[in-house]
Amino acid sequence: MDIDDILADLDRESTPQENLDLQSLTRSWVAERVAPELIPYPEELMERVLERIARQIEVIEEQTGSMDPKTNFKLIVIQTELERFKFLVRSFLRARIAKIDAHPLHYTNVSATTTITPSLLSLFEHQYLTAHQSLLSTHYRTSFLSQFPTQLQRLDDTTGGISMIDKPDGDAAVFVRVLRDCGVVAVEGTDVRCEMNKGDVFVVRWSAVRGRVLGGDVELI
Amino acid sequence: MYGDQANKLVQHAKRTQALPHLPPYQTELVRNIVREVRTLDTEVTATLAPFAGSFNPSSDPATATQLLVNYMCMRRNKRCLLAYHRVRTEKLEEMVWRGVDVKEREGLSTGGNGGSGSSSSAVVGEGTEGGSALSPEEEEYARQYAELLAAYKGKWTDVDLTGSLEPPRDLFIDVRVLKDAGEIQTEYGAITLTKNSQFYVRQGDVERLIAQGYLQKLS
Repeated sequence: MDIDDILADLDRESTPQENLDLQSLTRSWVAERVAPELIPYPEELMERVLERIARQIEVIEEQTGSMDPKTNFKLIVIQTELERFKFLVRSFLRARIAKIDAHPLHYTNVSATTTITPSLLSLFEHQYLTAHQSLLSTHYRTSFLSQFPTQLQRLDDTTGGISMIDKPDGDAAVFVRVLRDCGVVAVEGTDVRCEMNKGDVFVVRWSAVRGRVLGGDVELI
Repeated sequence: MYGDQANKLVQHAKRTQALPHLPPYQTELVRNIVREVRTLDTEVTATLAPFAGSFNPSSDPATATQLLVNYMCMRRNKRCLLAYHRVRTEKLEEMVWRGVDVKEREGLSTGGNGGSGSSSSAVVGEGTEGGSALSPEEEEYARQYAELLAAYKGKWTDVDLTGSLEPPRDLFIDVRVLKDAGEIQTEYGAITLTKNSQFYVRQGDVERLIAQGYLQKLS
């Protein structure tokens, strides 16, 4: 630990929770848009952010009546900020939904087999996933699958060595920035080793840095 | 040839991906493929029947190969059908997200490229004449998906999930009215949107109207 780390720690303590939340929301948003697979849902962070959005909306509603130019100007600032926050949340949730829709069966399996906290999906997302999947399979069945021989009707068939369940591509390349020194990182299946020092930027396989991103040592950019 | 029909279907799916609207559902083709699968299945059963469940592939390679080919064709057909339907459902989902009325949109696309301003009755007439672009199952799917989405969206009322995915730059924007949209309520009072007029309004208030094509955003 050198002087920079101490300064960074001090900074962290003195910045208010709101700013930290904005920072972590932005970080989650970028990560979700860049990573090839879903990242655990930041339950507490989202709760705080949503609560704050609701509060701001209330403030705006209370004050719109007044014609005082000073408050009006303040309102515009608040509203602009609010719109930006809403955009972040919206884009974040949409990115997640897109991923859920792309590999529904995979995520059904994952969320059924793992009980780690924080969970991968929020409660609502889980409901959406289940409902959407049942809609899809009903659609397939009524369209053509019901007329198939019974042994071919399954959607999650794994016989013949090929699984029907499509998985996110863990080998996709991502850009990362190192936030904390984390030593030498090896890319599985290759001889590539790289030493990750704070501030470095790398292009690596997602599978190689996944754990470190989730741990917060490395951020996606 | 086995699989030819499925190939056609995949080509349809490929083309669908690039189209702005949904082309008519290939009912006939889908039915033929399903029939092909059933024929193949009967064939397999018939081939296996004399062996009474004790078929040994290594003692009779010719039959084994035949079975394998039949199985592969069935699986391939299934895969192609799944792919075709998935592409179409994705299109439908996209429309639901954008808030386009699936039926109306489909009516317009079958209504030809002629005058886009044709009266609604003519569009409906042509739509029924040329047959619906959606299969009944797809209509049902679109309806239920819209419900599902509405339910999910309802959890995030403050954020409005279907809103614009462009990062907001300004709170207020200039818009031009392309079609009469009547009167809308904003917190600064009511605005009457008449064709060809121009307004400086809050983006959040008119987002839906832009998406529906009533207003055009001026940059």
